[in-house]
Amino acid sequence: MSLLVFVVVAIAFAGLAALLRGDPGPRTAAGLIGLIVAVIAALAIDPAQIVDIRGGGIATTAYLRLFLVLGSLVGLGLAVSGLAGGSRRDAPAVTLGILAACGLTLGLVDPRAAVLVATAGGLFGVLVTLIPGNARAGATVGIRETRAVIVAGALAIAATAWFGRDLSQLAAQPVVFGLAYLAFAVAVAMRFGAIPFHLWAARLTDVVPETALPILTAMAPATLAVVALAWTDASVTPLLVNLDSARLLVLGIAIASIFLAAIAAFVQDDLEHVLGYSIIGDAGVVMLALATLDPEAWAPARLWILVFVVTRSSFAAWVAGIRAGFWTGRVADLRGWVWRSPPLAAALALVVVASVGFPGLVSFDARKAIVELAIDGPAATVVLIGTLLPLAYYGRLLAIGLSRPDRVVQPISAWRPHLARPDVTAIQSWSSHTWDTNRAFTTATVAIVLGALALATSAGAFRGPEAAAGLPPTLTGPGEVVSPVDPGDQPSPSGSVGP
Amino acid sequence: MNPALAGAALAAVALAVVVGAVIAGSARNARTAIFGLVITMVGVPILADPLPWPLALSARLVAAVLAGYLLWVAARGHHVRTGGSLVGWPTDVFLAIGAAVVGYGSHGLGAPAAGPALAAAAGFGLAALSVLPVVTGRDILRVGIGLMLLLSGALLIRTSLGGTPDPLEQLLTAGLVAMLGGAVAILAVAARSDGGTGFEMADSTPRRSSHSGDAHPTEQR
Repeated sequence: MSLLVFVVVAIAFAGLAALLRGDPGPRTAAGLIGLIVAVIAALAIDPAQIVDIRGGGIATTAYLRLFLVLGSLVGLGLAVSGLAGGSRRDAPAVTLGILAACGLTLGLVDPRAAVLVATAGGLFGVLVTLIPGNARAGATVGIRETRAVIVAGALAIAATAWFGRDLSQLAAQPVVFGLAYLAFAVAVAMRFGAIPFHLWAARLTDVVPETALPILTAMAPATLAVVALAWTDASVTPLLVNLDSARLLVLGIAIASIFLAAIAAFVQDDLEHVLGYSIIGDAGVVMLALATLDPEAWAPARLWILVFVVTRSSFAAWVAGIRAGFWTGRVADLRGWVWRSPPLAAALALVVVASVGFPGLVSFDARKAIVELAIDGPAATVVLIGTLLPLAYYGRLLAIGLSRPDRVVQPISAWRPHLARPDVTAIQSWSSHTWDTNRAFTTATVAIVLGALALATSAGAFRGPEAAAGLPPTLTGPGEVVSPVDPGDQPSPSGSVGP
Repeated sequence: MNPALAGAALAAVALAVVVGAVIAGSARNARTAIFGLVITMVGVPILADPLPWPLALSARLVAAVLAGYLLWVAARGHHVRTGGSLVGWPTDVFLAIGAAVVGYGSHGLGAPAAGPALAAAAGFGLAALSVLPVVTGRDILRVGIGLMLLLSGALLIRTSLGGTPDPLEQLLTAGLVAMLGGAVAILAVAARSDGGTGFEMADSTPRRSSHSGDAHPTEQR
């Protein structure tokens, strides 16, 4: 089973890196080699395999394969960028652990099992919250992250358990359906740190390296969102029950996240916080997809999730490039950055086009479709315009980059590659010196590569739209037909009012 | 097995699970609280009818003991203390009894359930006991214990609604329980490594200097 190979490889290298924790060099090497092997293992996944395990099981799909290939690639890019930028070296091991959890979550057929793995995957993140020298403060952030992950997991476990049984003898009030749906939607919102559940995510940006942030707050929760979409389409949508009140709450979370996160990102003075809120804003669109309760949203939502993970990772790579190139993440200190690092300017341009898009671009059309399915009338136009608000913080970053530098902190050529003549008598010293003098160039290059990957994903490359439109993992082959259930046809408890 | 005997055994396990949770939530001695938590976590997979497949049950039990052992290691030292209950154990007992009655009475939550009603009762009891530590806990171990109680409660409710989980789900649950224990233990050890013997949370959030010479000045380049 090709998916299990991927999972075993990822966990093995993550474990190896953890075992080598006391020795930075081998630990870093194990993490990076593991990510390279993970890319290969993801490419080798056969998207039509089924393993039946006593009624439960695992099935691979084209979407799962594409998610893992893109996830492994951005994980590798961010690991290299983090290494060059001086970030913490346990981040690659955490990325590998989360990738393994993502693979299993997307491959498990039973949502009750999938939410367990998605919750376990969220726990890997605590490792990067620990800060040597200020461990108590880091652990405080870590336990808050753990709290968000477990509370969300408990909600998802309860929701999937309520639907995951024979409901033919139903005697429940329709409100119970709404509560189960709301519980799962809130679980997804908590994992993304969507507004108003964003406080733990905001604190996370204070301690977690920027290159690990999209792995923790975008990639890991994204798989839970995919499970939620599949569960909603299979369990909630076919019900002929009025879920408007629960749906309105989910819509409120989505719209608040889209608008308020964009505003928060605009006013932040620290690039890591801009990145953190940009992730929350895009996650708002995922929440919007959960609020549609329409199978038509299945394909655009899953495509948007792919685009979301890759574009936010490429933005993180750009932030790491700025950190490594200018040794600051304070926006006000970045006057003239465009002139001082043209590659980073190109990378930001790619990120902007990939994340905001334009009519005709696959990702833009997917987002537009989600908004129109979730909201009717003029409000849809307002929300669609709201999804373009990231242009404001991108514009601010660009404006400060185009302004005249107020001080010279780096020579104008600092971004260029520097290659000294190789010294065959001291290769290690030469390679170490070359690596040190090319940190800015390395991070900028990674930012461009990931920006190009993001743009390609947004444009529908890698057969993304076809993969996103595919069926969820199933053991029965061509998908399960869910017949509508009308609680009104079932015997109601005495004194209850039918829907 | 005789149904009456099986029912009595399930009731005893449910009682042990809730008593363990009360101890875990209210004890001020860290290792006493962890001991209570282990009783609860060991009882959770057994509170099912039929019992899980033996290998799956073994995995759950090993995971519960492993999680408890990791926390036990994190709390090494003499008289290491945790927050304990703010309202006292008698209040916790009444809270657990009230929630358990609600859970038992609403078994199935509107549709026939495939698992035992006692699992629902214990699950509701655990969920109620977890609220205070999770929401108001000011030390890492207490919040961690609250989270483990909450997860155990959710797993019991899942068993009460859907019946005994299949072996694959049991295996994944075991992994999650062990990971949560490990994560809380790592955080608890990190908190204590700063000095002091307690698990109190930091008063202020760490702020990364925006003008630092390194993106994350935590390790040598």
